[in-house]
Amino acid sequence: MSITTSVNGRRSRAGLLADRDLHFEVEQFYFREAELLDDGRYADWLDLLADDLDYWMPTRTNRLRRQQAFAVAARGEAAFYDETKESLAWRIRRFDSGMAWAEDPPSRTRHLITNVVARHVDPGEHSGFTEDDLLVKSAFLVYRNRLEREENVFAGGRTDVLRRTPDGLLVARRTILLDQNVLMSKNISTFF
Amino acid sequence: MSSSTEPATVTPRGALRRPAELARTVDVSGLVDTEGGLLDRAVFTDETVYRQEMRRVFAPSWLFLAHTDQFHRPGDFFTTWMGEDPVIVTMDRNRRIRAYLNSCRHRGARVCRADFGTTRNFTCTYHGWSFNLEGGLVSVPNREGYPDSFDTGQWGLVEVPHVETYRGLIFGTWNPAPVPLRESLGDMAWYMDAMLDHDEKGTVVVGGIHKWMLEGNWKLAAEQFATDWYHVNMSHASALMVLAPAGKKPKQEIVHRAGRQYVGANGHGAGFPVHPKNRFDDGTVHEWTDYDALRERLGDARVEGPLTNGHATVFPNFSYLPVNGSIRIWHPKGPDRMEVWAWTIVDASMPEEIREAQRLYNLRTFGPSGVFEQDDGENWSEVQGTAGGFMANRVALNYQMGLGGEREDGRHPGTTSELYSDAAGRSFYAHWRTLMNTPAWHEEHA
Repeated sequence: MSITTSVNGRRSRAGLLADRDLHFEVEQFYFREAELLDDGRYADWLDLLADDLDYWMPTRTNRLRRQQAFAVAARGEAAFYDETKESLAWRIRRFDSGMAWAEDPPSRTRHLITNVVARHVDPGEHSGFTEDDLLVKSAFLVYRNRLEREENVFAGGRTDVLRRTPDGLLVARRTILLDQNVLMSKNISTFF
Repeated sequence: MSSSTEPATVTPRGALRRPAELARTVDVSGLVDTEGGLLDRAVFTDETVYRQEMRRVFAPSWLFLAHTDQFHRPGDFFTTWMGEDPVIVTMDRNRRIRAYLNSCRHRGARVCRADFGTTRNFTCTYHGWSFNLEGGLVSVPNREGYPDSFDTGQWGLVEVPHVETYRGLIFGTWNPAPVPLRESLGDMAWYMDAMLDHDEKGTVVVGGIHKWMLEGNWKLAAEQFATDWYHVNMSHASALMVLAPAGKKPKQEIVHRAGRQYVGANGHGAGFPVHPKNRFDDGTVHEWTDYDALRERLGDARVEGPLTNGHATVFPNFSYLPVNGSIRIWHPKGPDRMEVWAWTIVDASMPEEIREAQRLYNLRTFGPSGVFEQDDGENWSEVQGTAGGFMANRVALNYQMGLGGEREDGRHPGTTSELYSDAAGRSFYAHWRTLMNTPAWHEEHA
């Protein structure tokens, strides 16, 4: 929990819930991001990501309850995504080749973003960030419908650090936990 | 090979007699034409054929279980599948790696439902029967309720009778009298060593396992990894494009590659481009690799061949890609579905930062989100989807590329063909046909 102390005469906001205006801004940011992904505008989506982005989607294992702490793969272990902005750009270049057959004809996707809880970052826990930046948890439900009848549902949660910049918010850190053990689809051809 | 020896674990059957009608057997000779290079699509769709595969292909064959690096101390366990049977692989108290059917002898529930971990016992959460690391039944609630004849020694976990290791890869078979693993690999071992024997310390697993579902018969993937370099240029055109420098097309020598394909007698297969400057795709791994030392250790033919780019299948359902250290098993899940489990392995002597580079390269290119493998999933679901139609199912598929071109090339052991060839696919299905038409160890013999 946050400790409200006075720093240079200002009350610390570290760990405090975002107010209504900020919360609205964060949600709108996510909805716009979802729209870009659903429209396949990946280059525009990249513009919402910080240059020092860390984008990580680890695999999840079934563990005995007493070993449950290890149920999410650690850094350096198996992940569906373990990306920088540069590597995401590299992945996205593939779609521009005109020969990315897994998405030709393209799938229909709908990214639903919900359960948003936004807090001011505690710089003590996230070095390099300030209280103007936001630590945000959200849930997603991504529906993919492909060709005639193929359907996939990807459900999970995200923990982001959004950086406040003069141009608005940018995703600087994103951890994605998909609520699946065996991935129940033939591939992952979208982003979360 | 198909003697009717009883398995290692005694499983009392009392007065039970399984009626032969439960297992329908079909003669599959007419489904595979290796001389003509034709395949009947019923091999991908028919339920009877699939059930027969479980009995005659999976039950007698060596099946990949795990990597030795997954087991370091007694009680370390890993759960997987042999065909559609759940199994536990564990290190016992004497540090021996053993495998058991993951099914309680009482009512049949799995006695371990975690993917991996460390334990002392495997306890069924239904009625509480508990088994130790040696598979022995060590605890039975209400033991006094059973008759005097009840012998816990007869009710241990059913053990996989043969578990053998080849350069860190653990295989098991239900066959009570198998051809030894090394012998069943034959010349395939020479090709496998190009990935597994860079370094006398062998290989280690980096980062766990990717698991995902595919809509497609398991043989579509196994066959492709045995025989199909042909699909690379078309299926993976977008991936080849992003591997090329920005704004440039893939180099002509990437698109028109010469190479060889190993055509194993036991259904194994491997294809690889041959070039004096073959290299690992990832720049960091390439920079670190001492190709001269590898030439010394493995010989020129392997360094210029199966060391880097290439594909391979160890019959029936274990495959690998040397360029990124991806090893995988195609678990059958019915005629029309498979589950892929893919590990990344690296040389034990690789420094941390090189391992990390290989891990990242692998997950960005292969695996369900990889720029290459996304498109494979699309191909197999497409082939499976059409095969269900009455007319489509009747129309034979073409495996004629390189027909008659199999020979000994004097440089690579065993029989080989051109890189672009269906030869290893034809031999994959020839071996499959032989097993499918041969009564397995568990069948009554006339």
